Amino acid sequence: MPEPDDNASSVRRAVEIGVFTVLLAVFLGVSYYCQDPFGLTGEALAHSIGVIVAAGLTLVMYSFLYRDNPLFKIAENLYVGVALGYGAVMTWRMALREEVYKPIFMAPTTEALGEALVWRTVPILLGILLTMRISRKYSWLSRYSYCLLVGWGAGVGISVYTHSYVLQQLNAAIAPLQDAVTQGTWEPLSGAWFLGAFFPMLGSLAVLVGTVAVLFYFFFSVEHGTAGRTVSKVGIWFLMISFGASFGNTVMARLSLLIGRVQFLLFQWIQMDQ
Amino acid sequence: MAIPQAELRRLAIAKHVIFVLVAAAVIVPFVAKVYQRDFKPTSYAEDLFQKVHNLDANTRVLISLDFDPGSEAELLPMGVAILRHCFQQRLIPVVMTNYPSGVDLARTIVEEAVAKSEVDYGRKLTSGRDYAYLGFRPGGVNLVLNMGENLKGAFQTDYYGKPTEDMPALVGVQSLKDLKLVIDITSSAWVELWIVYGADRFGFEYGAGVTAVMGPDMYPFLQSGQVIGLLDGLRGAADYELLLQRTEVGKLDKTGRGILGMTAQSAAHVLVIVLVLAANARFIFRRATGREKG
Repeated sequence: MPEPDDNASSVRRAVEIGVFTVLLAVFLGVSYYCQDPFGLTGEALAHSIGVIVAAGLTLVMYSFLYRDNPLFKIAENLYVGVALGYGAVMTWRMALREEVYKPIFMAPTTEALGEALVWRTVPILLGILLTMRISRKYSWLSRYSYCLLVGWGAGVGISVYTHSYVLQQLNAAIAPLQDAVTQGTWEPLSGAWFLGAFFPMLGSLAVLVGTVAVLFYFFFSVEHGTAGRTVSKVGIWFLMISFGASFGNTVMARLSLLIGRVQFLLFQWIQMDQ
Repeated sequence: MAIPQAELRRLAIAKHVIFVLVAAAVIVPFVAKVYQRDFKPTSYAEDLFQKVHNLDANTRVLISLDFDPGSEAELLPMGVAILRHCFQQRLIPVVMTNYPSGVDLARTIVEEAVAKSEVDYGRKLTSGRDYAYLGFRPGGVNLVLNMGENLKGAFQTDYYGKPTEDMPALVGVQSLKDLKLVIDITSSAWVELWIVYGADRFGFEYGAGVTAVMGPDMYPFLQSGQVIGLLDGLRGAADYELLLQRTEVGKLDKTGRGILGMTAQSAAHVLVIVLVLAANARFIFRRATGREKG
């Protein structure tokens, strides 16, 4: 005799299949009515089919919100496969074909071939060495390429990053304080002082206090006494405010993605007037 | 402690109710055609707009569209709006991408902006003369450094295979040093790479359009002046579209995807705030009555 749970699950599955069949019929009906693919030819037909497939896949992806299902899995794998395939084709077309294949195998003259070999042989060899990572026996060869990459990255990067991330930022943090003192705006309680000097100065002080407090919060080499705990708490507040701002913007970004898909479904698939 | 089965079922239902509410908050404004067509743009969007607006005619502006379809919803409207603004001001946009998976998307954005601008501004726009689409070249930051020395050497042909050496759109542009303004629209670390390896090194002014997630990370660069203006998420796109519309009285393009999405975004934000407040109020109430620990 079947268990009650088995019966409930069979009923649920039957209901789900029924609902899916109805939704599929609705999708096909709406697609036929709004896109009219049978009445089109050539590029318009291709576009119409593209919109229908994209709309279908969008809806299938959102079906995950109900629960995980085989259609979602198919769409998910399709997405990964298409993205990878597209990336591979574009890398071949825009990079390997243009930078390796054409200059060497389709060189118009012997001089051009010679020049291509002079300039491109070493980079191509270094590129091939990178792929040696897949061989357990020869993976050590890839270290030559990685050495060059890391060495170049550090050599070029350290100076420019120090300039852009440290010096420029320090300058920006100090400038409002300096301006308040040196540029004759130091007239406390005047309107111009509040707008021109006080608020930028307050901002710079907040950055200074926040940076020190957050760094102190993560500084575990000395025991935090009463004063230390207070500074740490200030650091936590700064961190929480920062996380709050990031969370708010993340919510906004995710909603934007939803809005983008809804706009596609309404304006391109259903072809609703704006 | 294991959560009781009934509580789990209740939470699952609550989750689905929230999904339905968010979907309704986003869909209803579009169906009801309730569009927020006027609002106050952010000051940093206005800064970027004014910078583009005040450039002399025929100035070359490099626009790097460094994203793929995953960020299309937020960044495509920005790209279209900025390109349309360039065409309106008779600037010459030079477009490229650092994303191999974004090559066709970038081309679509250029073509959409060109098609709209030809209608709106009544002039035929020709690739290679009024604008250039350079496509993608490998190299990452090496490419930027290379462009800083010899832009036409880095891109010997454009996306369509035309040589860049004598291309009218690139006359007077030997390297990044010859550009007054570069704008990067991106969903990745490219925004900072352009600052570090491009703007700070070669001295051009730099504006950015980024996804909302990345927005807070950009404020220090705005304060330091390393970024002269910023478009932040769909709101940033809407700001730029609105600023552009204000200059186009008589031929308003009301189809900007940024502006159309603002009501839906506001409605969804209000809903999220209400839900956060309601959940916290419930938690506080249950804790006060002893039904929740913590």
